Amino acid sequence: MSRSSRAVVTMPKTAKKGEVFSIRAIVQHDMESGFRHTEQGERVPRDMIRSFVCTYNGNEVFKADLHSGVASNPLFIFYAKAEQSGNFEFKWQGDNNYLTVVNQAITVA
Amino acid sequence: MIKKQLAQLGVVFFFFAVALPAYADQRQSATALMTPSNQAMQNDMSLNPALFWMMDGEALWGNRSNPAGKACADCHQDVKKSMKSVAATFPKRVNGKLLNLEGQINQCQTSRQQSPAFAYESKNLLSLSTLIAYQSRGLPIAASIDPAIEPDYRKGQSLYFQRIGQLNLSCAQCHDDRAGLRLASSTIPQAHPTAYPIYRIEWQGVGSLQRRLRSCVSAVRAEQYAYGSPELLALEFYLMRRANGMQVESPGVRP
Repeated sequence: MSRSSRAVVTMPKTAKKGEVFSIRAIVQHDMESGFRHTEQGERVPRDMIRSFVCTYNGNEVFKADLHSGVASNPLFIFYAKAEQSGNFEFKWQGDNNYLTVVNQAITVA
Repeated sequence: MIKKQLAQLGVVFFFFAVALPAYADQRQSATALMTPSNQAMQNDMSLNPALFWMMDGEALWGNRSNPAGKACADCHQDVKKSMKSVAATFPKRVNGKLLNLEGQINQCQTSRQQSPAFAYESKNLLSLSTLIAYQSRGLPIAASIDPAIEPDYRKGQSLYFQRIGQLNLSCAQCHDDRAGLRLASSTIPQAHPTAYPIYRIEWQGVGSLQRRLRSCVSAVRAEQYAYGSPELLALEFYLMRRANGMQVESPGVRP
């Protein structure tokens, strides 16, 4: 069983063929770096999102590896070019079986 | 004689017409001191990370799993309508006692929902206060000017001007006298609580005005006031009244 959290993707529902549009993907995650200690001196175990992948009809259009310097609730803003109607899949994967997937359909006219 | 009085009156009106807006213009939200990208992050809710606290707050608003079996929505219905401009009037006197938004939420929580009060800075309390404060976004702050609340105002005011801590500094020495100058790399803001609860990038999370005040108190090396203490409530009220008429920006983003 994987852990999940809230994610919000902002992108247009329709686009003209060839149009370049921006996509915003923000996900709720505390991003514990693994370097911090509690007041009792115990190390707080690392718990981070390790990768973010966006695919458009199965083709990878954006990918990022995340490391300990990334802030909590990471936000990605990137661009894609409308080719054909279909589906955008956004997938965040991380430590301790973390997995969040969001699908967003787009109609290309 | 009458002519002379009218002329004097004219002078007085002229003074008010010029002086008052000039005074209002001098007040500035700390939003104006931020980079354009941080401003965009605050103003556009699809970028603002406090969005997740709001979504949690919406889930709590409709949650009936408490001993009373009552959700917030059962009494207050649609949060967008019932809570509009509500946060802009807190802290205020409820049954003769000064109460901030968090205190009011907890009063509902303990009396109407028969549940233990949320701890200060707990995720649930911040989620609800963020959700409620957002319903006042863009509206003017309207803290009470009722004579009955004057003792609280004066108490907050005297705390604001009171030197405290090993550094022997008052709030006013930084935020009135030295606002706009720099403290290390950051510009000292005028301390108008227009955007609370805030998502502070340094905190990597949402925090209340009292958390911010406590950090200031500890920064001048004074003993911190407890969460929900009469001192912090009075300070909170004084600051809100000082910002009366300024726009609510909650939930804010701060560096």
